[in-house]
Parts: sequence; C-alpha cells; structure tokens
Amino acid sequence: MHAYANPTRFLAIAKPLTPWLLGLGLLLLLAGAFAGLAMVPGEAKQGETARILYVHVPSAWLGMGGWTSLAVAGLVQLVWRHPLSGIAARAIAVPGMLFTALCLATGSIWGKPTWGTWWEWDGRMTSMLVLLFLYAGFIALTTGDEGQRQGGSLSRGAAIYALVGAVNIPIINRSVVWWNSLHQGPSITLGGSSIDGSLLWPLGLTVLGFSLLFGAIVLMRMRRIIADNRVAARLRRLADDDEGY
Amino acid sequence: MAGVISGGGQWAYVVAAYALTALLTGAVLWHSWRAMVKAEKRSDALRRDRK
Repeated sequence: MHAYANPTRFLAIAKPLTPWLLGLGLLLLLAGAFAGLAMVPGEAKQGETARILYVHVPSAWLGMGGWTSLAVAGLVQLVWRHPLSGIAARAIAVPGMLFTALCLATGSIWGKPTWGTWWEWDGRMTSMLVLLFLYAGFIALTTGDEGQRQGGSLSRGAAIYALVGAVNIPIINRSVVWWNSLHQGPSITLGGSSIDGSLLWPLGLTVLGFSLLFGAIVLMRMRRIIADNRVAARLRRLADDDEGY
Repeated sequence: MAGVISGGGQWAYVVAAYALTALLTGAVLWHSWRAMVKAEKRSDALRRDRK
C-alpha cells in the first residue's frame, strides 16, 4: 500500500484511469437508465414509479459506500499516516454528500405517489438524513483547516469524526428491520433478491455505472488537490528563496 | 392497484427523479473536471516557469 503513497506514482495510474472510468461509467449508466425507462415492464403494484429504483438504489449505495470509504481513509490516515488517505477522504466527501442527497430526494419523489407522503420520520429516512448532515460536518471540518495546508492530510479530529460517523452505516442498513417503516424491507441480500429478474438486470448496470462515475469524480478531485498542493509547495519554496536572497 | 397515484401521472415523478439525478450528477462531474484541469494547468505552468 505504501508503494502508492507517492503522489507521482499515484498520478501515473490515476491519469490514464480517469477517462476510462468516466467513459465506461457513462456508457453503463446510459444503458441502464434507458433499459430502466424503456425496456423493462412497470411493476405490478407500484406501476411506473418503480423505475425510480434504478437511480435511487445506486444513490443509496454510493452515499453509504462513500462514507465507508471515507472512514477507511480516516483509519489509514490515523494508523499509517498514508499521505494519500487524507486527500482521498476529502475527495470522497462532496460526491458522497451528493449521492446521499440524491437518495433522499429520489426516495421522497418515489414516496409521494407510492405512500402518499413526501417524507416520514422513520428509521431509514432519518438515519439517511443524519448521514447527509455527517457529510456536511466533515466538509465544514476539512475545508481550509490546518491539514489542508500540510499536503492534504486530515487533522486527527477529522479522521476520528470519519470513524465515529461510520456507526451510522449499519444503523441505516438495519433500520428497516429494527423499526417499523413505510420503507420496504431489504430487497437484495447476500442470500438473493426478492425483485424479479426481469426488473433487476438494469439495476446492475446503473449501480456499476454510477460506481465507476463516482470513482472518476473521486480521482478528478484527488488530482485537483494534489495539483493545488504542488502549486502551494512551489510558491512556498519561491517565497523562501526570495527571503533567503 | 398501481400506487396511490396511478396512470400517466406516475411518469411525472419518474421524469423528475431522473432529471434531478442527471442534473446534480452532471453538475458535480463538470465542476470536478473543470477544477482538475485548471489546477493541473496551473501546476504545469509553474513547473515550466521554474525550468
């Protein structure tokens, strides 16, 4: 892992990988969205609104997966002080927050025609809203703090915040089992899926497409942070040289 | 029964969900791309100046 601690080595992989993730992600996403809108039949009970599944589930997956990655990056930063882990955590925060917000918004849009309400303060929706606030807190905590001036690493407080916030992930996951909810129970588990195969296959495309796109966005944001760090380091060196002269 | 709101009215919700997803994802994608290109250009320009 430490072999990739060097930003130059990381960039040698990230630069060619970014357009591939972006292109493939968009392709899969468009194919999945087209299939979800035009090729699969409406669901027996929910009708056409079930098509929202193909954007809602990937958003939920990336909102939760984003925070899990952010917590792992925080742990790596705390334990091994890997220089790229702080940069990765910062890069994940904004797209993670975006997909959490999209999960809440598309869920709400789906809820109105299905449940007759835009919002319900139940376990699933409330814990997802908490995740959105956790992302907002992390972004506030890591924007312009001391760590950013030290090559993008996270402060100890931000890394611990990321780890503590991860407690919310299993709560979101189990919320529909632990508490009564308007939200349906788990449809896809390790044991299989309760969704019929004829409706399920476009979900695979959109989940994979959104995940690759998420990866591309994170790589772009990491490259931006590394470039900004390099500019800041060079400007500091130039200022030091001027003072020395 | 096909949901609380049935028939053609359901498509408005579907379109709204997809449009919002496309709009917000596109905005973050575009912003991340622009910021990356701008930062890397600045970094490369500074490196060339130093040489």
